[in-house]
Amino acid sequence: MAVSDGISPPRRIGLTMPRRRLLTHAVIFLVLVGLWEIGSRAGWLDPLFYPRPSNILRSFWLIYVQNGNVWFHLYATLGLVFAGFVAGSILGVGLGALVGFQPLVRRFIKPYVIVLEATPRIAVAPLLIAALGFGAPSKIAIIMLVCFFAPFINTLSGVVNVSEDRLELFNSLGAGKMQVLRKLVLPEALPVIMAGERLALTAALSGALVAEFIQRDQGIGSLILIYTRNLNMASAFACIFTLTIIGFLIFRGMEWIDNRIAFWNTEAGMARVGTKRALAFRGAHG
Amino acid sequence: MDGTGDAQQMSNSVLGARSLGKTFANGSVVALEGATFDIRPGSFVSLVGPSGCGKSTLLRLIAGLIERTSGQVSVHGTDVSGPRTDVAMMFQKATLLDWRTAIENVLLPTEMARSVTKDDQKHAAELLKLVGLEEFLFAFPSQLSGGMQQRVALARLLQTGADVLLLDEPFGALDEFTRERLNVELMRIVGEVKATTLFVTHNIAEAIFLADQVFVMTPRPGRIAATIDVPFERPRPLSLQTSPEFNTLVAEVRDVLGDDH
Ligand SMILES: Nc1ncnc2c1ncn2[C@@H]1O[C@H](COP(=O)(O)OP(=O)(O)OP(=O)(O)O)[C@@H](O)[C@H]1O
Ligand SMILES: [Mg+2]
Repeated sequence: MAVSDGISPPRRIGLTMPRRRLLTHAVIFLVLVGLWEIGSRAGWLDPLFYPRPSNILRSFWLIYVQNGNVWFHLYATLGLVFAGFVAGSILGVGLGALVGFQPLVRRFIKPYVIVLEATPRIAVAPLLIAALGFGAPSKIAIIMLVCFFAPFINTLSGVVNVSEDRLELFNSLGAGKMQVLRKLVLPEALPVIMAGERLALTAALSGALVAEFIQRDQGIGSLILIYTRNLNMASAFACIFTLTIIGFLIFRGMEWIDNRIAFWNTEAGMARVGTKRALAFRGAHG
Repeated sequence: MDGTGDAQQMSNSVLGARSLGKTFANGSVVALEGATFDIRPGSFVSLVGPSGCGKSTLLRLIAGLIERTSGQVSVHGTDVSGPRTDVAMMFQKATLLDWRTAIENVLLPTEMARSVTKDDQKHAAELLKLVGLEEFLFAFPSQLSGGMQQRVALARLLQTGADVLLLDEPFGALDEFTRERLNVELMRIVGEVKATTLFVTHNIAEAIFLADQVFVMTPRPGRIAATIDVPFERPRPLSLQTSPEFNTLVAEVRDVLGDDH
Protein backbone atom coordinates (compact mmCIF):
# COMPACT_ATOMS: atom_id res chain seq x y z
CA MET A 1 0.00 0.00 0.00
CA ALA A 2 2.97 2.30 0.52
CA VAL A 3 3.52 4.99 -2.09
CA SER A 4 7.24 4.59 -1.66
CA ASP A 5 9.30 2.03 0.18
CA GLY A 6 11.66 4.63 1.62
CA ILE A 7 14.27 1.93 1.82
CA SER A 8 16.16 2.33 -1.42
CA PRO A 9 18.95 4.86 -1.04
CA PRO A 10 18.07 8.27 -2.42
CA ARG A 11 19.38 8.79 -5.94
CA ARG A 12 21.75 11.67 -6.26
CA ILE A 13 21.95 13.92 -9.25
CA GLY A 14 24.35 16.71 -10.11
CA LEU A 15 26.83 17.98 -7.59
CA THR A 16 28.30 14.64 -6.48
CA MET A 17 29.23 13.46 -9.97
CA PRO A 18 32.90 13.06 -10.86
CA ARG A 19 34.41 16.06 -12.61
CA ARG A 20 34.78 14.38 -16.04
CA ARG A 21 31.11 13.46 -16.14
CA LEU A 22 30.11 16.94 -15.01
CA LEU A 23 32.16 18.40 -17.87
CA THR A 24 30.51 16.09 -20.41
CA HIS A 25 27.08 17.12 -19.16
CA ALA A 26 28.00 20.80 -19.40
CA VAL A 27 29.21 20.37 -22.98
CA ILE A 28 26.05 18.51 -24.03
CA PHE A 29 23.89 21.15 -22.35
CA LEU A 30 25.68 24.00 -24.11
CA VAL A 31 25.42 22.25 -27.48
CA LEU A 32 21.67 21.74 -27.01
CA VAL A 33 21.11 25.36 -26.00
CA GLY A 34 23.31 26.46 -28.88
CA LEU A 35 21.30 24.39 -31.37
CA TRP A 36 18.10 25.86 -29.97
CA GLU A 37 19.47 29.37 -30.37
CA ILE A 38 20.68 28.71 -33.93
CA GLY A 39 17.46 26.90 -34.86
CA SER A 40 15.43 29.79 -33.58
CA ARG A 41 17.51 32.40 -35.43
CA ALA A 42 17.52 30.38 -38.66
CA GLY A 43 13.75 30.05 -38.51
CA TRP A 44 13.61 26.22 -38.09
CA LEU A 45 11.79 26.72 -34.82
CA ASP A 46 8.77 29.03 -34.62
CA PRO A 47 10.15 31.87 -32.46
CA LEU A 48 6.65 32.57 -31.23
CA PHE A 49 6.45 29.30 -29.33
CA TYR A 50 10.13 28.52 -28.92
CA PRO A 51 11.80 31.78 -27.89
CA ARG A 52 15.56 31.95 -28.22
CA PRO A 53 17.56 31.03 -25.13
CA SER A 54 19.13 34.49 -25.27
CA ASN A 55 15.67 36.04 -25.11
CA ILE A 56 14.71 33.83 -22.17
CA LEU A 57 17.87 34.94 -20.41
CA ARG A 58 16.89 38.56 -21.05
CA SER A 59 13.42 37.88 -19.70
CA PHE A 60 14.98 36.51 -16.53
CA TRP A 61 16.79 39.79 -16.13
CA LEU A 62 13.62 41.70 -16.93
CA ILE A 63 11.26 40.00 -14.50
CA TYR A 64 13.77 39.59 -11.67
CA VAL A 65 15.78 42.80 -11.87
CA GLN A 66 14.51 45.45 -14.22
CA ASN A 67 10.80 45.11 -13.48
CA GLY A 68 11.22 42.88 -10.46
CA ASN A 69 7.56 41.92 -10.78
CA VAL A 70 8.17 38.18 -10.37
CA TRP A 71 9.13 38.37 -6.70
CA PHE A 72 5.65 39.18 -5.51
CA HIS A 73 4.23 36.19 -7.37
CA LEU A 74 7.07 33.93 -6.32
CA TYR A 75 6.45 34.70 -2.65
CA ALA A 76 2.72 34.18 -3.13
CA THR A 77 3.26 30.74 -4.65
CA LEU A 78 5.89 29.64 -2.14
CA GLY A 79 3.74 30.85 0.75
CA LEU A 80 0.85 28.77 -0.57
CA VAL A 81 3.03 25.72 -1.10
CA PHE A 82 4.41 25.99 2.41
CA ALA A 83 1.07 26.53 4.13
CA GLY A 84 -0.68 23.79 2.16
CA PHE A 85 2.16 21.33 2.55
CA VAL A 86 2.49 21.81 6.29
CA ALA A 87 -1.25 21.60 6.88
CA GLY A 88 -1.75 18.69 4.47
CA SER A 89 1.13 16.61 5.72
CA ILE A 90 0.39 17.19 9.40
CA LEU A 91 -3.13 16.03 8.68
CA GLY A 92 -1.81 13.08 6.67
CA VAL A 93 0.74 11.91 9.24
CA GLY A 94 -1.68 12.48 12.13
CA LEU A 95 -4.58 10.61 10.56
CA GLY A 96 -2.25 7.91 9.24
CA ALA A 97 -0.88 7.26 12.74
CA LEU A 98 -4.35 7.39 14.28
CA VAL A 99 -5.85 4.96 11.77
CA GLY A 100 -2.75 2.75 11.97
CA PHE A 101 -3.14 2.29 15.71
CA GLN A 102 -6.85 1.44 15.58
CA PRO A 103 -7.37 -1.91 13.83
CA LEU A 104 -11.12 -1.40 13.89
CA VAL A 105 -11.02 2.07 12.37
CA ARG A 106 -8.57 0.73 9.81
CA ARG A 107 -10.92 -1.96 8.61
CA PHE A 108 -13.79 0.46 8.07
CA ILE A 109 -11.72 3.22 6.56
CA LYS A 110 -10.00 1.01 4.01
CA PRO A 111 -12.71 1.21 1.30
CA TYR A 112 -12.59 5.00 1.42
CA VAL A 113 -8.83 4.97 1.12
CA ILE A 114 -9.11 2.83 -1.99
CA VAL A 115 -11.74 5.15 -3.50
CA LEU A 116 -9.66 8.21 -2.66
CA GLU A 117 -6.57 6.58 -4.12
CA ALA A 118 -8.33 5.86 -7.40
CA THR A 119 -9.73 9.40 -7.77
CA PRO A 120 -7.44 12.07 -9.26
CA ARG A 121 -7.41 14.55 -6.39
CA ILE A 122 -7.16 17.56 -8.72
CA ALA A 123 -10.62 16.75 -10.08
CA VAL A 124 -12.08 17.98 -6.80
CA ALA A 125 -10.41 21.42 -7.12
CA PRO A 126 -13.39 23.22 -8.74
CA LEU A 127 -15.66 21.89 -5.99
CA LEU A 128 -13.36 23.26 -3.33
CA ILE A 129 -13.44 26.68 -4.99
CA ALA A 130 -17.20 26.54 -5.20
CA ALA A 131 -17.37 25.71 -1.50
CA LEU A 132 -14.68 28.07 -0.20
CA GLY A 133 -14.80 30.85 -2.79
CA PHE A 134 -11.86 32.47 -4.57
CA GLY A 135 -8.82 33.37 -2.50
CA ALA A 136 -6.18 31.80 -0.31
CA PRO A 137 -8.36 29.35 1.67
CA SER A 138 -9.53 27.40 -1.37
CA LYS A 139 -6.01 27.41 -2.84
CA ILE A 140 -4.56 26.03 0.37
CA ALA A 141 -7.36 23.48 0.50
CA ILE A 142 -6.43 22.27 -3.00
CA ILE A 143 -2.78 21.92 -2.01
CA MET A 144 -3.73 20.14 1.19
CA LEU A 145 -5.81 17.73 -0.82
CA VAL A 146 -2.99 16.82 -3.20
CA CYS A 147 -0.35 16.49 -0.51
CA PHE A 148 -2.41 14.74 2.13
CA PHE A 149 -2.40 11.34 0.58
CA ALA A 150 1.25 10.25 0.39
CA PRO A 151 2.06 11.07 4.05
CA PHE A 152 -1.23 9.48 5.11
CA ILE A 153 -0.66 6.21 3.29
CA ASN A 154 3.03 6.01 4.13
CA THR A 155 2.49 6.76 7.81
CA LEU A 156 -0.33 4.25 7.94
CA SER A 157 1.71 1.50 6.33
CA GLY A 158 4.78 2.41 8.39
CA VAL A 159 2.79 2.07 11.59
CA VAL A 160 0.94 -1.08 10.53
CA ASN A 161 4.00 -2.87 9.17
CA VAL A 162 6.06 -2.54 12.32
CA SER A 163 8.38 -5.54 12.58
CA GLU A 164 6.78 -8.49 14.38
CA ASP A 165 10.14 -9.62 15.74
CA ARG A 166 10.89 -6.27 17.29
CA LEU A 167 7.40 -6.07 18.72
CA GLU A 168 7.95 -9.43 20.40
CA LEU A 169 11.30 -8.18 21.75
CA PHE A 170 9.62 -5.11 23.23
CA ASN A 171 6.88 -7.28 24.71
CA SER A 172 9.43 -9.61 26.27
CA LEU A 173 11.05 -6.54 27.87
CA GLY A 174 7.71 -5.55 29.32
CA ALA A 175 7.48 -2.33 27.28
CA GLY A 176 4.44 -0.12 27.73
CA LYS A 177 2.34 1.23 24.85
CA MET A 178 4.02 4.64 24.83
CA GLN A 179 7.47 3.05 24.87
CA VAL A 180 6.58 0.87 21.90
CA LEU A 181 5.31 3.96 20.09
CA ARG A 182 8.26 6.22 20.89
CA LYS A 183 11.14 3.78 20.75
CA LEU A 184 9.94 1.38 18.05
CA VAL A 185 7.03 2.39 15.85
CA LEU A 186 7.94 6.01 15.16
CA PRO A 187 11.66 5.53 14.48
CA GLU A 188 10.98 2.50 12.33
CA ALA A 189 8.31 4.34 10.32
CA LEU A 190 10.36 7.53 9.98
CA PRO A 191 12.10 6.77 6.65
CA VAL A 192 8.79 5.76 5.06
CA ILE A 193 7.04 8.83 6.46
CA MET A 194 9.84 11.02 5.07
CA ALA A 195 9.46 9.39 1.65
CA GLY A 196 5.79 10.36 1.80
CA GLU A 197 6.71 13.93 2.72
CA ARG A 198 9.01 14.15 -0.29
CA LEU A 199 6.22 13.15 -2.63
CA ALA A 200 3.86 15.54 -0.86
CA LEU A 201 6.10 18.56 -1.28
CA THR A 202 6.49 17.92 -5.01
CA ALA A 203 2.72 17.47 -5.27
CA ALA A 204 2.20 20.71 -3.32
CA LEU A 205 4.04 22.69 -5.99
CA SER A 206 1.88 21.20 -8.75
CA GLY A 207 -1.22 21.78 -6.63
CA ALA A 208 -0.34 25.44 -6.15
CA LEU A 209 0.07 25.90 -9.92
CA VAL A 210 -3.29 24.29 -10.66
CA ALA A 211 -4.95 26.49 -8.03
CA GLU A 212 -3.35 29.57 -9.60
CA PHE A 213 -4.28 28.50 -13.13
CA ILE A 214 -7.88 28.35 -12.01
CA GLN A 215 -7.96 31.54 -9.97
CA ARG A 216 -5.54 33.66 -12.07
CA ASP A 217 -5.13 36.39 -9.48
CA GLN A 218 -1.52 36.03 -8.34
CA GLY A 219 1.38 33.61 -8.15
CA ILE A 220 3.76 32.07 -10.66
CA GLY A 221 0.94 29.96 -12.11
CA SER A 222 -1.15 32.97 -13.04
CA LEU A 223 1.94 34.78 -14.27
CA ILE A 224 2.69 31.93 -16.71
CA LEU A 225 -0.93 32.10 -17.85
CA ILE A 226 -0.79 35.85 -18.45
CA TYR A 227 2.56 35.77 -20.29
CA THR A 228 1.39 32.95 -22.51
CA ARG A 229 -1.82 34.81 -23.34
CA ASN A 230 0.16 37.87 -24.28
CA LEU A 231 2.42 35.65 -26.38
CA ASN A 232 5.35 36.68 -24.22
CA MET A 233 6.80 33.18 -24.39
CA ALA A 234 10.29 34.16 -23.27
CA SER A 235 8.96 35.40 -19.94
CA ALA A 236 6.70 32.35 -19.61
CA PHE A 237 9.76 30.15 -20.09
CA ALA A 238 11.66 32.17 -17.52
CA CYS A 239 8.86 31.43 -15.06
CA ILE A 240 8.86 27.75 -15.96
CA PHE A 241 12.62 27.48 -15.48
CA THR A 242 12.20 29.27 -12.16
CA LEU A 243 9.90 26.43 -11.16
CA THR A 244 12.46 23.92 -12.40
CA ILE A 245 15.03 25.44 -10.10
CA ILE A 246 12.58 25.53 -7.18
CA GLY A 247 11.64 21.91 -7.82
CA PHE A 248 15.29 20.92 -7.83
CA LEU A 249 16.00 22.85 -4.63
CA ILE A 250 13.00 21.24 -2.94
CA PHE A 251 14.22 17.82 -4.00
CA ARG A 252 17.73 18.41 -2.71
CA GLY A 253 16.50 20.08 0.44
CA MET A 254 14.22 17.17 1.28
CA GLU A 255 17.03 14.75 0.50
CA TRP A 256 19.26 16.63 2.92
CA ILE A 257 16.64 16.63 5.67
CA ASP A 258 15.92 12.96 4.98
CA ASN A 259 19.59 12.10 5.39
CA ARG A 260 19.65 13.95 8.71
CA ILE A 261 16.52 12.27 10.07
CA ALA A 262 16.90 8.75 8.67
CA PHE A 263 20.69 8.84 9.01
CA TRP A 264 21.01 5.07 9.49
CA ASN A 265 20.14 4.42 5.85
CA THR A 266 23.43 5.75 4.51
CA GLU A 267 27.03 4.91 5.34
CA ALA A 268 27.89 8.60 5.60
CA GLY A 269 25.00 9.22 7.98
CA MET A 270 25.99 6.34 10.25
CA ALA A 271 29.62 7.45 10.27
CA ARG A 272 28.62 11.01 11.17
CA VAL A 273 26.21 10.10 13.98
CA GLY A 274 28.37 7.22 15.26
CA THR A 275 31.35 9.53 15.65
CA LYS A 276 29.24 12.15 17.39
CA ARG A 277 27.82 9.67 19.91
CA ALA A 278 31.25 8.18 20.56
CA LEU A 279 32.61 11.64 21.36
CA ALA A 280 29.67 12.41 23.65
CA PHE A 281 30.17 9.11 25.47
CA ARG A 282 33.89 9.62 25.95
CA GLY A 283 33.24 13.17 27.10
CA ALA A 284 30.83 11.91 29.76
CA HIS A 285 33.05 9.04 30.89
CA GLY A 286 36.42 10.78 30.89
CA MET B 1 -0.18 -35.79 40.78
CA ASP B 2 0.48 -35.02 44.41
CA GLY B 3 -0.55 -31.36 44.63
CA THR B 4 1.14 -30.26 47.87
CA GLY B 5 4.41 -32.03 47.18
CA ASP B 6 4.62 -30.55 43.70
CA ALA B 7 3.86 -27.06 44.87
CA GLN B 8 6.59 -27.40 47.47
CA GLN B 9 9.07 -28.68 44.91
CA MET B 10 8.20 -25.94 42.43
CA SER B 11 8.70 -23.11 44.85
CA ASN B 12 12.26 -24.30 45.43
CA SER B 13 13.22 -24.51 41.76
CA VAL B 14 14.27 -21.57 39.62
CA LEU B 15 12.02 -22.62 36.83
CA GLY B 16 9.31 -25.24 36.98
CA ALA B 17 6.32 -26.50 35.04
CA ARG B 18 3.46 -28.89 35.81
CA SER B 19 1.42 -30.43 32.99
CA LEU B 20 2.02 -27.24 31.05
CA GLY B 21 0.10 -27.16 27.78
CA LYS B 22 -0.70 -24.80 24.92
CA THR B 23 -3.12 -25.25 22.05
CA PHE B 24 -3.68 -22.97 19.07
CA ALA B 25 -6.59 -22.53 16.70
CA ASN B 26 -9.28 -23.27 19.31
CA GLY B 27 -7.58 -26.42 20.48
CA SER B 28 -7.09 -28.02 17.08
CA VAL B 29 -3.31 -27.55 17.17
CA VAL B 30 -1.65 -28.98 20.27
CA ALA B 31 1.67 -27.12 20.33
CA LEU B 32 2.69 -28.36 23.75
CA GLU B 33 1.25 -30.96 26.11
CA GLY B 34 1.98 -32.12 29.64
CA ALA B 35 5.35 -30.47 30.13
CA THR B 36 6.54 -31.16 33.68
CA PHE B 37 10.03 -30.30 34.89
CA ASP B 38 12.12 -28.51 37.48
CA ILE B 39 15.34 -26.78 36.56
CA ARG B 40 18.19 -26.43 39.05
CA PRO B 41 19.57 -22.94 39.70
CA GLY B 42 22.47 -22.08 37.42
CA SER B 43 22.08 -25.09 35.18
CA PHE B 44 22.17 -25.10 31.40
CA VAL B 45 19.32 -27.00 29.74
CA SER B 46 19.12 -27.70 26.02
CA LEU B 47 15.83 -28.25 24.25
CA VAL B 48 16.25 -30.38 21.16
CA GLY B 49 13.68 -31.72 18.75
CA PRO B 50 12.37 -31.51 15.19
CA SER B 51 10.58 -28.49 13.79
CA GLY B 52 7.11 -27.94 15.22
CA CYS B 53 7.59 -29.90 18.46
CA GLY B 54 6.80 -26.87 20.59
CA LYS B 55 10.26 -25.60 21.59
CA SER B 56 9.51 -21.95 20.86
CA THR B 57 6.05 -22.32 22.38
CA LEU B 58 7.56 -23.56 25.64
CA LEU B 59 10.00 -20.66 25.76
CA ARG B 60 7.33 -18.11 25.01
CA LEU B 61 5.14 -19.54 27.75
CA ILE B 62 7.99 -19.16 30.24
CA ALA B 63 8.72 -15.63 28.99
CA GLY B 64 5.08 -14.74 29.53
CA LEU B 65 4.63 -13.77 25.89
CA ILE B 66 1.69 -16.12 25.36
CA GLU B 67 -0.89 -17.53 27.74
CA ARG B 68 -0.94 -21.22 28.62
CA THR B 69 -4.09 -23.23 28.02
CA SER B 70 -3.41 -25.75 30.78
CA GLY B 71 -1.08 -26.55 33.67
CA GLN B 72 1.29 -24.34 35.58
CA VAL B 73 4.57 -22.57 35.03
CA SER B 74 6.55 -20.64 37.62
CA VAL B 75 9.83 -18.78 37.95
CA HIS B 76 11.45 -18.33 41.36
CA GLY B 77 8.35 -19.88 42.84
CA THR B 78 5.92 -17.32 41.44
CA ASP B 79 3.39 -17.96 38.74
CA VAL B 80 4.21 -16.57 35.29
CA SER B 81 1.43 -14.22 34.26
CA GLY B 82 3.23 -11.98 31.78
CA PRO B 83 6.68 -10.66 30.84
CA ARG B 84 8.87 -10.21 33.92
CA THR B 85 12.24 -8.71 34.69
CA ASP B 86 13.90 -11.89 35.99
CA VAL B 87 13.36 -13.67 32.65
CA ALA B 88 14.89 -12.56 29.36
CA MET B 89 14.69 -14.00 25.89
CA MET B 90 16.96 -14.03 22.86
CA PHE B 91 15.72 -14.87 19.39
CA GLN B 92 17.08 -16.49 16.24
CA LYS B 93 17.28 -13.07 14.62
CA ALA B 94 19.35 -10.45 16.41
CA THR B 95 16.35 -8.08 16.27
CA LEU B 96 18.41 -4.95 16.81
CA LEU B 97 17.13 -1.43 16.27
CA ASP B 98 18.85 -0.11 13.12
CA TRP B 99 18.75 3.49 14.32
CA ARG B 100 20.68 2.77 17.50
CA THR B 101 24.38 2.15 18.02
CA ALA B 102 25.46 -1.17 19.55
CA ILE B 103 25.65 0.29 23.05
CA GLU B 104 22.29 2.03 22.69
CA ASN B 105 20.79 -1.30 21.65
CA VAL B 106 22.27 -2.94 24.72
CA LEU B 107 20.76 -0.21 26.90
CA LEU B 108 17.23 -0.76 25.59
CA PRO B 109 16.14 -3.12 28.41
CA THR B 110 17.30 -0.59 31.02
CA GLU B 111 15.36 2.22 29.31
CA MET B 112 12.19 0.19 29.69
CA ALA B 113 12.54 0.26 33.46
CA ARG B 114 14.08 3.64 34.29
CA SER B 115 16.21 6.45 32.92
CA VAL B 116 19.72 5.42 31.98
CA THR B 117 22.56 6.41 34.32
CA LYS B 118 26.28 6.68 33.68
CA ASP B 119 26.74 3.40 35.54
CA ASP B 120 24.26 1.70 33.23
CA GLN B 121 26.29 2.96 30.28
CA LYS B 122 29.48 1.67 31.83
CA HIS B 123 27.86 -1.69 32.49
CA ALA B 124 26.63 -1.91 28.89
CA ALA B 125 30.11 -1.11 27.62
CA GLU B 126 31.53 -3.86 29.83
CA LEU B 127 29.01 -6.36 28.51
CA LEU B 128 29.95 -5.48 24.94
CA LYS B 129 33.55 -6.10 25.93
CA LEU B 130 32.52 -9.42 27.45
CA VAL B 131 31.07 -10.52 24.08
CA GLY B 132 34.19 -9.28 22.28
CA LEU B 133 32.84 -6.07 20.79
CA GLU B 134 34.75 -3.40 22.71
CA GLU B 135 35.83 -1.90 19.38
CA PHE B 136 32.27 -1.56 18.13
CA LEU B 137 30.37 0.29 20.85
CA PHE B 138 29.22 2.98 18.44
CA ALA B 139 28.72 0.90 15.31
CA PHE B 140 25.22 0.63 13.89
CA PRO B 141 23.72 -2.85 13.31
CA SER B 142 24.01 -2.67 9.53
CA GLN B 143 27.74 -2.06 9.92
CA LEU B 144 28.13 -5.37 11.79
CA SER B 145 28.30 -8.96 10.53
CA GLY B 146 25.56 -11.44 11.45
CA GLY B 147 27.72 -12.98 14.17
CA MET B 148 28.54 -9.58 15.65
CA GLN B 149 24.86 -8.63 15.63
CA GLN B 150 24.07 -11.73 17.66
CA ARG B 151 26.83 -10.77 20.09
CA VAL B 152 25.12 -7.41 20.58
CA ALA B 153 21.83 -9.24 21.17
CA LEU B 154 23.60 -11.43 23.73
CA ALA B 155 24.96 -8.36 25.53
CA ARG B 156 21.47 -6.89 25.51
CA LEU B 157 20.14 -10.13 26.99
CA LEU B 158 22.66 -9.87 29.83
CA GLN B 159 21.93 -6.16 30.35
CA THR B 160 18.41 -7.11 31.49
CA GLY B 161 19.98 -8.53 34.63
CA ALA B 162 17.61 -11.49 34.40
CA ASP B 163 18.91 -14.74 35.87
CA VAL B 164 16.71 -16.95 33.71
CA LEU B 165 17.86 -16.76 30.10
CA LEU B 166 15.79 -18.23 27.27
CA LEU B 167 17.62 -18.63 23.99
CA ASP B 168 15.62 -19.70 20.94
CA GLU B 169 18.13 -21.00 18.38
CA PRO B 170 20.21 -17.86 18.99
CA PHE B 171 22.92 -18.76 16.49
CA GLY B 172 20.79 -20.85 14.14
CA ALA B 173 21.10 -18.41 11.26
CA LEU B 174 24.91 -18.24 11.41
CA ASP B 175 27.54 -20.31 9.65
CA GLU B 176 29.00 -23.42 11.30
CA PHE B 177 32.29 -21.83 12.39
CA THR B 178 30.77 -18.70 13.86
CA ARG B 179 28.13 -20.77 15.62
CA GLU B 180 30.66 -23.08 17.24
CA ARG B 181 32.75 -20.13 18.45
CA LEU B 182 29.73 -18.34 19.86
CA ASN B 183 28.51 -21.51 21.58
CA VAL B 184 31.79 -21.84 23.44
CA GLU B 185 31.67 -18.18 24.43
CA LEU B 186 28.06 -18.51 25.49
CA MET B 187 29.00 -21.38 27.83
CA ARG B 188 31.74 -19.27 29.37
CA ILE B 189 29.55 -16.18 29.75
CA VAL B 190 26.44 -17.76 31.28
CA GLY B 191 28.80 -19.59 33.63
CA GLU B 192 30.31 -16.25 34.65
CA VAL B 193 26.98 -14.53 35.28
CA LYS B 194 25.59 -17.70 36.93
CA ALA B 195 22.34 -17.60 34.98
CA THR B 196 19.93 -20.47 34.51
CA THR B 197 19.75 -21.08 30.78
CA LEU B 198 17.25 -22.73 28.47
CA PHE B 199 18.73 -23.17 25.02
CA VAL B 200 16.81 -24.31 21.95
CA THR B 201 18.56 -26.04 19.07
CA HIS B 202 17.98 -28.48 16.21
CA ASN B 203 21.47 -29.84 16.57
CA ILE B 204 21.85 -32.88 18.85
CA ALA B 205 25.62 -32.62 19.33
CA GLU B 206 25.34 -28.92 20.10
CA ALA B 207 22.54 -29.59 22.60
CA ILE B 208 24.63 -32.13 24.49
CA PHE B 209 27.92 -30.28 24.29
CA LEU B 210 26.50 -27.14 25.95
CA ALA B 211 24.14 -28.60 28.52
CA ASP B 212 23.89 -30.10 31.97
CA GLN B 213 20.58 -31.57 30.93
CA VAL B 214 18.90 -32.16 27.57
CA PHE B 215 15.11 -32.12 27.12
CA VAL B 216 14.32 -34.20 24.06
CA MET B 217 11.05 -33.11 22.48
CA THR B 218 8.82 -34.87 19.96
CA PRO B 219 6.02 -33.40 17.83
CA ARG B 220 2.26 -33.99 17.33
CA PRO B 221 1.49 -33.32 20.07
CA GLY B 222 4.55 -31.42 21.26
CA ARG B 223 5.90 -33.00 24.44
CA ILE B 224 9.08 -33.58 26.39
CA ALA B 225 9.77 -37.22 25.59
CA ALA B 226 12.94 -37.64 27.65
CA THR B 227 15.27 -35.80 29.98
CA ILE B 228 18.91 -36.79 29.64
CA ASP B 229 21.63 -35.78 32.10
CA VAL B 230 24.99 -34.75 30.68
CA PRO B 231 27.74 -35.63 33.20
CA PHE B 232 30.84 -34.09 31.54
CA GLU B 233 32.66 -31.56 33.64
CA ARG B 234 33.49 -28.01 32.58
CA PRO B 235 35.24 -26.41 30.89
CA ARG B 236 34.63 -28.75 27.98
CA PRO B 237 37.09 -28.90 25.08
CA LEU B 238 35.67 -29.08 21.53
CA SER B 239 37.38 -32.47 21.20
CA LEU B 240 34.87 -33.85 23.71
CA GLN B 241 32.48 -34.24 20.80
CA THR B 242 34.55 -37.07 19.32
CA SER B 243 34.75 -39.11 22.53
CA PRO B 244 32.85 -42.43 22.80
CA GLU B 245 30.95 -41.28 25.91
CA PHE B 246 29.70 -38.25 24.04
CA ASN B 247 28.56 -40.37 21.13
CA THR B 248 26.73 -42.73 23.43
CA LEU B 249 24.64 -39.75 24.58
CA VAL B 250 24.07 -38.67 20.97
CA ALA B 251 22.79 -42.16 20.19
CA GLU B 252 20.53 -42.04 23.24
CA VAL B 253 18.94 -38.77 22.09
CA ARG B 254 18.58 -40.10 18.55
CA ASP B 255 16.84 -43.13 19.93
CA VAL B 256 14.20 -41.01 21.63
CA LEU B 257 13.66 -38.92 18.51
CA GLY B 258 13.12 -42.02 16.40
CA ASP B 259 13.33 -42.15 12.64
CA ASP B 260 12.23 -38.60 11.91
CA HIS B 261 15.46 -36.95 12.94
N1 LIG C 1 0.69 -18.42 16.89
C1 LIG C 1 0.41 -19.67 16.46
N2 LIG C 1 -0.77 -19.96 15.90
C2 LIG C 1 -1.06 -21.21 15.49
N3 LIG C 1 -0.23 -22.25 15.59
C3 LIG C 1 0.97 -22.04 16.14
C4 LIG C 1 1.37 -20.74 16.60
N4 LIG C 1 2.62 -20.84 17.10
C5 LIG C 1 2.99 -22.11 16.97
N5 LIG C 1 2.01 -22.84 16.38
C6 LIG C 1 2.06 -24.28 16.10
O1 LIG C 1 2.49 -24.94 17.25
C7 LIG C 1 3.40 -25.98 16.93
C8 LIG C 1 4.68 -25.79 17.68
O2 LIG C 1 5.31 -24.59 17.21
P1 LIG C 1 6.71 -24.06 17.75
O3 LIG C 1 6.98 -22.79 17.06
O4 LIG C 1 6.68 -24.06 19.22
O5 LIG C 1 7.69 -25.20 17.24
P2 LIG C 1 9.28 -25.24 17.30
O6 LIG C 1 9.64 -26.50 17.99
O7 LIG C 1 9.80 -23.98 17.85
O8 LIG C 1 9.66 -25.37 15.78
P3 LIG C 1 10.93 -24.79 15.02
O9 LIG C 1 12.05 -25.72 15.32
O10 LIG C 1 10.54 -24.86 13.58
O11 LIG C 1 11.16 -23.40 15.49
C9 LIG C 1 3.56 -25.97 15.43
O12 LIG C 1 2.71 -26.96 14.88
C10 LIG C 1 3.10 -24.61 15.04
O13 LIG C 1 2.53 -24.63 13.77
MG1 LIG D 1 10.98 -22.34 17.08
